[in-house]
Amino acid sequence: MSEAGLAAMDWGRLGEGSFWLALTIAFYVAARRLQQVLGGTPLANTVLVAAIPLMAILYWFGIPVSEYQRGGWLLLWVLGPATVALAVPLYLNFAHVRVALWPMCAALLVGPAVAVISGLILAEAMGARIETIRSLAPKTVTTPIAMGIAREIGGIPELTAAFVIFTGIIGAVFGAALFNAIGMRDARTRGFAMGVISGGIGTARAFQESFLAGTFSGVGMTLSGILTAIVLPLVWLAFF
Amino acid sequence: MTLRDALFAALAFLALVACNIAGGYVAALLRLPVPGTVIGILILLGALLAYGRVPDPLRRVAVFLLAHLNLLYVPAGVGVLAYVALVRNDLWPIVVVLFVSTFLSMIASALAFHWTAKLTARKEDGE
Repeated sequence: MSEAGLAAMDWGRLGEGSFWLALTIAFYVAARRLQQVLGGTPLANTVLVAAIPLMAILYWFGIPVSEYQRGGWLLLWVLGPATVALAVPLYLNFAHVRVALWPMCAALLVGPAVAVISGLILAEAMGARIETIRSLAPKTVTTPIAMGIAREIGGIPELTAAFVIFTGIIGAVFGAALFNAIGMRDARTRGFAMGVISGGIGTARAFQESFLAGTFSGVGMTLSGILTAIVLPLVWLAFF
Repeated sequence: MTLRDALFAALAFLALVACNIAGGYVAALLRLPVPGTVIGILILLGALLAYGRVPDPLRRVAVFLLAHLNLLYVPAGVGVLAYVALVRNDLWPIVVVLFVSTFLSMIASALAFHWTAKLTARKEDGE
């Protein structure tokens, strides 16, 4: 991760970056407040609300992103261990998971496949570049895993990270309305589909709907991450 | 939070870091085309299954980290600013793919889950 977008682990210059680290946390706390004030609406997504002013500040003052990432990389680095922490809810909900094994397998196979294939066809048809198409492919997988997959299949990990985040935000914002429209009321169904496609940001939203939905979303996110991480590079290397 | 709690929380976090790093080593060693974090999840899951319960500090640290996942995504979101040029060239395909394929795949996942649940429930009723 030595590209301009995401700086490498650089403890020595973390001091210089601590201003940006503090500012990021401050904007995140403010974004949480804003969402609470607005009654927890999915439209006020905390990633979006915190990232936009930071991007505006960098753009406005002409500060390169690499300067920001002297502090920002630390949070991105913590995302790795935080993702490993998903093993805990997975273990705690093992009983739930075992009961719904077949529905989960079906959703896990169908959802990411539809996402990858429809994305490929649409992106090809609209004339997107090959790096863009490769970066779009793992967009339903949670960020650190998706970035790893993008690296494996020749995409741009930083771009993939952004696509994952937008997929998460789109799912979190429109998911509930979408499920209502097709008459899906069961919390397990809604949560699992949300987690499989919209990952961590979708899971945060599912927990607002109900604990059961959030639990299934977390499980869906973990399993789709594992499955896609194993299948996608193998399929991609075999066909492209 | 006492000093003892803080110490155990730090240890639990270090255990997560260790699983993540170990996952990376395993993936590199076995030349698996799978990100280390995935192996890290499996290592921790295996350890929990072997241990038989989740130690309290680990549960607390995991809940805290998962509750604030969105904070950890912010730098990745800001990072896209460095790739604006590439995004700008393919803006419309990207926007259309993000919306359409996200909607389609969410509907497909929900229906697949729903129908399979109905199918397996009916089978169990019949038995």
